[in-house]
Amino acid sequence: MIGRSWMRWYLLTGLCLVVVRCAVAETTDEDPLPAGWKQLTHDGHFKQRPAWSPDGSKLLFTRHVGESVRVIVCDATGTNEKRLLEDKHPRMDAVFLPDGKRLAFTFDKVTPGQGDMELYLCDSQGEHLQPLFVTQGKLTHEEWASPSPDGKWIACTSTRDDNAELYVISVDGKEKQRLTNHPALDVHASFSPDGRKIAFATNRWDNFEIAVYDLQTSLITRLTESPGLDDYPAWSPDGKQIAFASRRDGDLAVFVMQADGSKPRNVTQSNGSANFPTWTLQGEITFCAYRNGAWDIYQCRP
Amino acid sequence: MLEAGRIRSVNCGRLSRRSLLQIGGLGALQVTLAELLHSNVASAESAPPAKSVILLWLWGGPSHLESFDPKPAAPLEYRGPYAPIATTNPGLQVCELFPKLAARAHKYSVIRSMNHESNDHGIAGTISLTGSIQGARSLGGINLPGQVLGTHGSVVSKVDGIHARVPRFVTIGKKLYQGPQYITGDEGGSLGPIHDPFRVNYVPGTGVELPDFKLIDGVTADGLSHRQKLLERFDQLTRFMETSAPAQRLDVFYDRAISLLTSPETRGVFDVDKEPVKLRNSYGRHHFGQCCLLARRLIEADVRFVQVNWSSHVEGSEDGGDWGWDMHDRYFQIFQDRHSWQLDQAMSALLDDLDSRGLLQQTVVVAVGEFGRTPKINPKAGRDHWNQCYSAVVAGGGFTPGLVIGSSDSLAEHPLTRPTKPADLFTTVLQQVGITTTRLTSVGLTPLGHAIEELT
Repeated sequence: MIGRSWMRWYLLTGLCLVVVRCAVAETTDEDPLPAGWKQLTHDGHFKQRPAWSPDGSKLLFTRHVGESVRVIVCDATGTNEKRLLEDKHPRMDAVFLPDGKRLAFTFDKVTPGQGDMELYLCDSQGEHLQPLFVTQGKLTHEEWASPSPDGKWIACTSTRDDNAELYVISVDGKEKQRLTNHPALDVHASFSPDGRKIAFATNRWDNFEIAVYDLQTSLITRLTESPGLDDYPAWSPDGKQIAFASRRDGDLAVFVMQADGSKPRNVTQSNGSANFPTWTLQGEITFCAYRNGAWDIYQCRP
Repeated sequence: MLEAGRIRSVNCGRLSRRSLLQIGGLGALQVTLAELLHSNVASAESAPPAKSVILLWLWGGPSHLESFDPKPAAPLEYRGPYAPIATTNPGLQVCELFPKLAARAHKYSVIRSMNHESNDHGIAGTISLTGSIQGARSLGGINLPGQVLGTHGSVVSKVDGIHARVPRFVTIGKKLYQGPQYITGDEGGSLGPIHDPFRVNYVPGTGVELPDFKLIDGVTADGLSHRQKLLERFDQLTRFMETSAPAQRLDVFYDRAISLLTSPETRGVFDVDKEPVKLRNSYGRHHFGQCCLLARRLIEADVRFVQVNWSSHVEGSEDGGDWGWDMHDRYFQIFQDRHSWQLDQAMSALLDDLDSRGLLQQTVVVAVGEFGRTPKINPKAGRDHWNQCYSAVVAGGGFTPGLVIGSSDSLAEHPLTRPTKPADLFTTVLQQVGITTTRLTSVGLTPLGHAIEELT
C-alpha cells in the first residue's frame, strides 16, 4: 500500500500531466463515400425512419442518444436541426401528413406502461398534440404511421387484437379498420402514391417478406421471396418501384424492385448496414446506414 | 465529486476523428507494466488451461429462439419471423441475423438447456452472477433471505488475492438495474467490497470513464487544469482521507487508482483509441463493440475476469432503459435493427481478435443473459421472461469448441436433455481458469454447481 503522502503526490502529479488531444483522423482505413452518395448527418448516433416533407424541404428522423429517443427535423441538406416533441418519454417515427402542416408519430409511454405505444398527431413544430390511435385498458402498441396521399387515412400496425395487424384509421381518429388477421406479424405499412395499395412486411411465409394489400379487393400479394429478411417497404413517388431493406446479400442493404416484385437490385452495395429507406421527390433514396463505425443518414440515386 | 481517474478521449465533433490520450511520465516513479500487473498468486496446482475470462453479460435476457436455439418447425406464433442459417458447425443452426457468428461456430460451443428458478430480472441476475439465489432483490424490492454471495469475478479476486496493482476483476459498464433499483449479485457480496469489480465504462463519442474515482464532492476533471484549485482540492481530499473512516476503508481503491493514474502503461490499457481504426471498426464503434475491444486490452494486461455489461438497465431505450434485451414489445424490430448486428459484429470480432493474438486458447469467452424469452410470442409482438430454458455460448479457454450441449423441446420451452444451471456453467468456467475446488475451499468457498464435463 502506498502511503498517503505519496498518494497525494502521485495523484497530483499524474493528473496534472494528463493531456488529452485530438489527432487527425486515420482516414486510410475508412471506407470512402460511394460515388453518388450524399451524407446528410454526421453525429454517428443510431437513427431510424427518415421521412421527407411533401415539398422536400424538411427531413424528419428519429435519433437515439443513450436513453433518449427524439424526433429531429432538419433542412434538406441535413443542417439546421431542431428537436421536436421534447419529452422524457420516447417519441419516434414521425412522418409528415400530405398537407405538410401536421405530423403523425409514435408515442411510447414508458414503464410502468411498458410497451404502451400510441399514435399521435401534432403540428409541424411538434406542438398541439392530439391522440390518433390509442387503445385503452391494455398494453398495446400502435405504430409506424403511413399517411394516404389524400391525407384522410393513416395506415399503421396495432397489437390491440393480440397480434401485430395492419390497420387504417381516419385522421380524425373516428374510423378504424383492421386489414389483416393472421397469426404472423404484419408491420411497417407504406401507402402507395395512388392510395390503392399498402405495402408491408409479414412473416406469414416464414421470415419477413414484402407483400402488398389491395384496399379494393383485400387481396394480399407476395412480392419478395428471399432467404434473408425483407422489411421496411417504401413506394417511389411515381408508384412504379418499391424500396426495402433486405439481408439477402448478407449485410442489411437497401434494395429497389418494381412494384410487382420483379427485378430486385441492391442499391447500397457497400460495407456496413443500410436500413429504413424512403424516397425524395426527385426519385433519390434516403436511408440510414452504419458506415465506418457510425450511424448516419445518406442519400443515393438508385 | 473527485473524478480524478476519469479518462476521456475526446472526439472532436465527429466519430471519424481519432482521439489520443497522453499522460506525462513520472520519471523514477514509473514502474514497468510487468511489475504493475504481476500476479501475486503462485498456485501449487498445475497450470490451468486458461488464464482469463470475458463474460459478455446480455442484461435483460435475449431470446434463445432468435439466437442460438431457433425452432423453424414450431408453429408461427412460436418460431418468430427469422429463419435459421447453417453454421460452420454442422450440428448447429443459429438465427439468420447472426451471419458472422454463424461463420465462427467452430470456435464456440452452445448450451441449449440453461435454466433456473426465477423469471424476475433481479433474482435471475443474482442467480446467474453468483450461482445462488441468496440475497437476491426482486422487482418489488424484496430481498430474499441469506447473504448475497460474491459474483464470479469477485471469486477470482478472492482466490487469487487482491494485492496486484491492476484489479483482478473489472466490470465494463455501470451497475445493473431492474427498474429504478440496483440488483444484488454483481459485486463482492459476502466476499466484501474489497472484491467488488473495478468498474469502468465506455461512452461512445466520449471514451473510457473510470467512475471508481468519483469519491469527493466538489472536484471535477474540468477543474484539474487549474493547479491552484487542484492543490486546494487535494488538500481537501487528504483531510477527508485522514479523518474519514469510510474513506480509509477505500484505501484499496485509491491504491488501484494511483497505479492506474501514475503509470502511462497501465493507464494506456484503457485507451482503445490506440487500436487501429480498422480493428476498432471491426468491433463496431457502438458501446458494446468498444467495450469488447476494451475487454481484450484488459485481458492482455493480465486482468483475470472482465465482465462486459451490454446495458445497465434491462429495458431498451424506448422503455426508458439503455438498450437492454428486455423487449416485451417490438422484440423483432428492435432486435433486427440494433441488438442482433451489434452482438454479431462485436462478439465475432472479439473471437477473431483473441484468436489472431493467440489469446483465445487462454481466454474463456461466455455470452449469456439472466434468462431467455417466452417461446410463444406475446400479443405485443414481443417475448416475455423465460427462465425455464435458454442458451449460453462458451468459447476459448481450452474448452472444446463446436459442441451443442443439452437440448430443448420442440417449442424451446423446457430442456429436453442435460438441464444446466448457471452455477454449473460458472463452476466450469472458473475451474478452467484454475479456480478449483481445492483453491475455493482454501479460502472458505465451495463450488456451487457441477462442472460440465463435456466442455473440458
